[in-house]
Amino acid sequence: MKIRQFALHLILLIGAFTSLAPFIWMAFASFKGFPEVVSSPRLLPLVWTLDGYREILSRVGFLMAFRNSALIAIPGTATVVLGSTATGYVLAKYQFPGKEVLFRLLLSTMMVPFTVVIIPLFITMKDLGLIDKLEGILITSLCSTFGIFLMRQTIETIPNDYIDAARIDGASELWILHQVIFPLVHSAMATLAVLTFLGQWDSYLWPSVLLKTTDHQTLPIIIASMRSLFATRYNIWSAGSMLTVIPVMVLFTLAQRYFVEGLALTGLKG
Amino acid sequence: MIKILRRPQFRFGLVVLVPILAWYILFSFRPIVLSFRMAIVDYDLLDPISSPFVGLAHFKALLFTEYQLFWTAVINSFSYALYISLGVPLALVFAYCLANITRGRNKYQWALFLPVVVSMAAIALLFRFMMTANGILNCLLKAGGLPPSRWLAGPESALPSIALVSLWKGLGGNIVILAAGLLSIPMELYDAAKVDGANGWQTFWKITLPLLSHTLKLVIILATIGALQAYTSAIILTGGGPAGATYMISQFIVEEAFANLRFGLASSVAFVLFAVILLITLMQFRLMRTKWEY
Repeated sequence: MKIRQFALHLILLIGAFTSLAPFIWMAFASFKGFPEVVSSPRLLPLVWTLDGYREILSRVGFLMAFRNSALIAIPGTATVVLGSTATGYVLAKYQFPGKEVLFRLLLSTMMVPFTVVIIPLFITMKDLGLIDKLEGILITSLCSTFGIFLMRQTIETIPNDYIDAARIDGASELWILHQVIFPLVHSAMATLAVLTFLGQWDSYLWPSVLLKTTDHQTLPIIIASMRSLFATRYNIWSAGSMLTVIPVMVLFTLAQRYFVEGLALTGLKG
Repeated sequence: MIKILRRPQFRFGLVVLVPILAWYILFSFRPIVLSFRMAIVDYDLLDPISSPFVGLAHFKALLFTEYQLFWTAVINSFSYALYISLGVPLALVFAYCLANITRGRNKYQWALFLPVVVSMAAIALLFRFMMTANGILNCLLKAGGLPPSRWLAGPESALPSIALVSLWKGLGGNIVILAAGLLSIPMELYDAAKVDGANGWQTFWKITLPLLSHTLKLVIILATIGALQAYTSAIILTGGGPAGATYMISQFIVEEAFANLRFGLASSVAFVLFAVILLITLMQFRLMRTKWEY
C-alpha cells in the first residue's frame, strides 16, 4: 500500500513539475538581460535586471492593452455570471410551455464554431458603428451558453422546498435568487467566473479581427505583435507574458477551492 | 405536474428571458442564418440584399477546383485533432493517480490545472522561445543524449510541436474532469470485485473503464472539437508555416474572409467545419454508447 501511494505521488510529481517548469523558466528569463537570454541555457540569471519589464511597459502601449483587457473582462465576467445564474434559475425552476425547446435551442448554439458567425458578426458591428471599439467585443461577450447550461444543471439539484418556503414567506424572486440560490451555487458561480474571465482575457480571434488601432487592442494581440516587434528579445517576451498570466494565476489560486468542485460538476453532468 | 406561474414569477421570468433572447437573436441566431445565406449566394459586399443565389457552387468549388490550400488545411486540422486525442490516455493515467492518492490532491490539481487557465497567447510566445534552435528544449534533448529537433521551424515537426504545446496546456482540464468521474464511482463496486477475487487489471477494465465511459466520451469530444477549431496557438507559434505545415481550417476561414474578402467561400468552409463537428459528436456518442448500465 505504501509503495503504491509512493508510485502515484511520483507520477503526479512529474506531472506537476512538467506543468510548472515552463512558468519557472519564463519567470527567471524575464529578469535576464538580452545577451544572456539568447545565449545561455542557465535557469537563474547571471545578472538580475528589470530591463525586460522596463521596455515592455514603456514601448508598445502595453499598459493601454492591459486596461483594455480589464475593461472587457471584468464587466463581461460579471454580466455572464449574474445573467447565467438568473437564466439558469428561470430555466431550472419555472414551468412554462416551450421551456425545453428554448433550452435546447440555446444549447445548440454551443456546437456552432465561432468561425461560422464571425463574418455576419463583423457586418453587424459595422452596422452598429462598433468596429475598432472595445464595446464591440464587450457586447458580444455578455452571454455564455456554457454558463447558462452550467447554472441550470446546478440549480436543478436545489430542492424546490427551499424556494417554495421563501415564496410562502412572501419573498420576491430577486430576493430568492440573491439569498437562496446564490449561496447554494457559489462554487459553480466561482468556476464560471474564472473560466469566463480567462476566456475573455485570452480571447484572440475576434478582437484581432475587430480591433485595429493600437490604442484599442487587448493584451493577447499586443503579446502576439511582440513576435515581430521585438524579434528574439526573449526577455521582453517573458516580461510581457508574465504580466499577462499573473492576474489569471492569482484569480485561479484564490478561487481554486470552489473551482475544482464546480468543474467536476460540468464533467459529470455533461 | 405543471405549476402555473404566478404573477411575480411571470414578471421576473420575463425580465430575465427577454434580454437574453434578444441577445441570442442579435448575436447568435441571426449571424448563423446570415452566414448560411452567405454560403449559398454570391455575396455582394455593396448590395448584400440582391446577392444572386448560387446554391452549392461554393461547396463544389471547394471540392473540385484548385483550392490546394483548403485540402492542406483539412489534412492539418485532422492530424492535429488526432495528436490532441492521443493526450486523453495520458490524462487518464494522471487522473487515476489523482483519484487514488490519500492526501495532497488539491496541490497537484492546482499545479496540473495552472497551464489551463493562463493565456494561450502568452504560452505560445513562451514556447516559441523555448523551441528555438539553441533554446532550452534542445539543450534538454542534448543533455539527454538525443538529437536536437527543429521544432516549429521544421515542416515535419511543426504540427506535432504545436500539438505538444496545446496538450501541455489542456491536459489539466481533462485530468480534473476524469478524476472527478473516477471519484464518483461507488466504492462498493470495488469492494465487491475484491471479494470476488478480481485483480487490479480486471477491476480497471471491468468496472472503472465502463463506468467512466460517459465522462471519457465527453473529454474526447471536447478535445476533438477544440482541436478542429484551433486558431490562436498556430497563429502565434508559426503563423501557419513553415510552408503551410501548420495551416489549419480556422486560419483558412479567417484569411478567406478578412484578407481575400471571399465571404461566401469562407462561410461555406465554416459550415463544413460545423457539419464535421456535429458528425463527430454524434459518431462518438454512438460508438461509445454502452449497452448496459450498472
